[in-house]
Amino acid sequence: MSTASVLSEIDRELELSGRPTVLDEQAKREVRRAMLSAVCIPGYQVPFGSREMPVARGWGSGGLQATLAMGGSEDVVKVIDQGDEEGVNAVNLRRLIRGTLGCGTTADTREASIVQSRHRIPEDRMVAGQTIVLQVPNSEPLRGVEKSVRECNRMHAEADYSRIWVGMYEDLVTGGVVNTGAGYPVMVNDRYLMAPSPIPRWDVPRLNDSDHLTILSHGRDKKIYAVPPHTPVAPVTFDDVPFEVEFTEGTTCGLCGSADTFMVQTSDGRFLCSDVEWCRRVRDHDVDPAEHRVIAPLQYLPDAGKRVRATAEDYLVDPGLLADESAGFRDAVTTTAPGAEWTLKVSGLGKTYPARRGSSAVVAAADVDFDVAPGEALGIIGESGSGKSTVMKCIIGDEYQAQGDVRLAGFDDARTNILQLTPTERRNLRISALSVVYQDPAMGLNLRISAGGNITERLTAAGWRNYRAIRRRAAGLLDRVEVPLNRMDDAVGQFSGGMRQRVQIAKALATDPDVLLLDEPTTGLDASVAAGVLDLLRELLAERNIAVVVVSHDFSVIDALTDRAIVMHRGRVIETGLTDQLFADPHEAYTQRLVAAARG
Amino acid sequence: MGYAGTNKGGTSAILAAEELLRSNREAADEISVDAVLTAFPAIIDRIMGEGGLWHERTAAAAFIQAGGDTAEAVHLLRAHRSTLPRLTFSLPIEPDDMALCRRVVPAHRSPDGPQLLGETVDYSPRIIRRGVGDPLGGDDSDLVVDDDQIGPAKYPDRPVQRYTRFLAAQGLLVDRRDESDPEPYDLALNPITLPAPRSARLSAMSLAETGALVNLWYRGVIGPDGHTDESVTLGEVRYGRLGVRVTHPHTGNPVQVGEIRATECESMAHLDERGEDASRFDAGYGFAMGHNERKAIAMANMDLAAQRYASGPAGWQTEQVIMHTTDGLAANGFLEHLKLPHYVTFQSMIDRALAARAEDGKTSQRELAEDAAEQPAQDAAEQPAEDATKKEVLA
Repeated sequence: MSTASVLSEIDRELELSGRPTVLDEQAKREVRRAMLSAVCIPGYQVPFGSREMPVARGWGSGGLQATLAMGGSEDVVKVIDQGDEEGVNAVNLRRLIRGTLGCGTTADTREASIVQSRHRIPEDRMVAGQTIVLQVPNSEPLRGVEKSVRECNRMHAEADYSRIWVGMYEDLVTGGVVNTGAGYPVMVNDRYLMAPSPIPRWDVPRLNDSDHLTILSHGRDKKIYAVPPHTPVAPVTFDDVPFEVEFTEGTTCGLCGSADTFMVQTSDGRFLCSDVEWCRRVRDHDVDPAEHRVIAPLQYLPDAGKRVRATAEDYLVDPGLLADESAGFRDAVTTTAPGAEWTLKVSGLGKTYPARRGSSAVVAAADVDFDVAPGEALGIIGESGSGKSTVMKCIIGDEYQAQGDVRLAGFDDARTNILQLTPTERRNLRISALSVVYQDPAMGLNLRISAGGNITERLTAAGWRNYRAIRRRAAGLLDRVEVPLNRMDDAVGQFSGGMRQRVQIAKALATDPDVLLLDEPTTGLDASVAAGVLDLLRELLAERNIAVVVVSHDFSVIDALTDRAIVMHRGRVIETGLTDQLFADPHEAYTQRLVAAARG
Repeated sequence: MGYAGTNKGGTSAILAAEELLRSNREAADEISVDAVLTAFPAIIDRIMGEGGLWHERTAAAAFIQAGGDTAEAVHLLRAHRSTLPRLTFSLPIEPDDMALCRRVVPAHRSPDGPQLLGETVDYSPRIIRRGVGDPLGGDDSDLVVDDDQIGPAKYPDRPVQRYTRFLAAQGLLVDRRDESDPEPYDLALNPITLPAPRSARLSAMSLAETGALVNLWYRGVIGPDGHTDESVTLGEVRYGRLGVRVTHPHTGNPVQVGEIRATECESMAHLDERGEDASRFDAGYGFAMGHNERKAIAMANMDLAAQRYASGPAGWQTEQVIMHTTDGLAANGFLEHLKLPHYVTFQSMIDRALAARAEDGKTSQRELAEDAAEQPAQDAAEQPAEDATKKEVLA
């Protein structure tokens, strides 16, 4: 018997039963397939052909499809909204589910084979064989930090979730607590960031290593995801910042007296269990209170003594206490390619922009060769349009489809030409192998978040998860680049140009990269401010064993920072040498002009 | 007569078009204003709200004349409004005096006063009904029975506390009173100017096209730009009747001259962004004539975004979008004007396209110059770089 004939048989039986069809059998099959995929990849949002339902989008159309697709006449379904089976929405959905499946319904969690819920997990323990279907109004946990759907997809694909931690860091420095209420983001199976439908934080620990299956379905956005039994689920937080559940001191349920349930307030100021059925059973002595104490998230009750503001940050007032921070900076580490002395080697690098309507083909760079050793700084000098910035962009990965060969000693022992890597791999290199300081701080910083938050972004990308360690590291870096630590928690957008550039430098150095690229680092600044930043850079380069490439049109910048330099003109290298010599005795007329300009 | 005829004295074409519409409708039974008012209350309320005129029978007549096209009916009503003299201005309406027909407080389980479901299809299954009877097969006897008795004994006849007042009493609401905007800005008599006071924004949204406001909110939530998000909670959705009073021209006393129905909404957001007071909430306000909850809710959310971000570019953007893009008459009219003859301006564009084609393929003077300049450089590519540069420097 073919699948098609089975399905049409079911459809015919349904028709004979007189029950209304809300979802045809083919559609149910598609939903079931999506649910199976979701179970296979816990936390991953599986797209599915979500149909329009008799309830509006946002009213449980996704949850309804999941329940109808997996349920049958032998199921017993419990439906709750806010933990309450008597709410109008729960009544409505129960009516629909029973009317179309011909199944039984119950209020008792113990009797249910499927629980469909909005905003709650029942207080009672759910067991193996039971399934909870959570209705989801927003399946994208990254929406709060990223509005582009494409970018969110990329972040999930690459498990690039550092900005979620940055968001929490910013909450902590501005308010002392994480502001996320319900719908607290969780990591599922150590891989996917997931929005646990907006269940209260109280219910989040119940997702972890559960005995039952959780299906989360978002009809409007056409996504289904799942937490299979015994999957690790962890609320996103720093290692040293305890996750907190909702708690109001001294509250007990005004009806059943429970103190270990999620409660909501009434107009007379009393609190009541949000799970109405549980509350009734407590009053009927039909529960196992000891068992409930075990599954209630009491270990996550807020403890003011463990909040971040309970720890003094004396170093903010006395940066001398950060002396040990510099120990973390790279000083003894030397990364060179096997059998060679360089950290970065560029051979035959070229970039051609093809002709398009409105612009002709441009050979922006061709046949560029150089290498840089640890502790060495190489200058690339040229007029604007000479190709120097193109070279830098090709190395850092802001431009793709370059010709030639670029190798890093710190990546795959220099066996791989990084120009051949995928964009994802190129981005990963920028976490700790390669850093860049742009002329425009807005290119390298998020101006809406704090100086410390910007550094946090790099550190969390590199895997740092300890808030206090991040604070200390960020303070050490900011102090080193002479940003006053009382400005550490201010949004960078409020900083002057020179100060922004210092923050960008601190961020670039945060993970001790092997290679640092400086693209006109002082060009946007007033002369006096530029001089200060230049002095700082000179000191930083001197104290670190880092390979540096400095790109500038200004020979005095190249002279101040570098040992060797190459001169670029019309995309090509026309002269190379020790910076001193080039500056003192330039051979090419073009180089002579650059030197003359720098000497004023 | 064809389309072009409308451009040269095509009176007969216009009359023929009207006749075509009329004769097509003639086939149907006459639909009375009363029948429309009874059968289609939602669309009449929407037309009155977007039309900015409260008169049910006129709105119903416009609906019939427009063949059910809301935008057209709103246009008829607005044009009609222009014919009416302004005799007086009503006294401010106290929203708390609303006789409630429906009231929902999503933010609270048991607020002050009733949760009143009233007239709604919110919880009805969207299953097309053929005939009477519950499509889900009736018999709800085993469903949970609501044993709460709602009646005068439980809810005495007094204004119920709105949820934002409850929040304010707990010190959790920012104070948004603005003494600099005492009189509502009347958009029927005044042009739009930016920056606009809050009363002008509220007036604009109260008149706005429902779908435009809904999309504005939704775009902010799920689109690439905009300044709304999903983390709003509604404090109140109310629908009911309100008396309209004016000052009597002779006695000087307030006197009730009529009654309107209206929908109100309050939405709340936690001020959890950098620079905001995370210990408080902000609230937005929506008010739509008639029963139009979608509009009132979208309006409250947009009002919230506009005032929350008022001091920066996000607020300025939101304000411009609200004030300049939500009027249905403006948007629909301008869109439809594209059907007007445009062949003069289009001829002018064709002229430029033809000119570009004539030039296409011809080599520009600039390219000629560049070719000349590049020639030695290309030759030099085979030679030592030093020589090439010398040539270029000389050139």
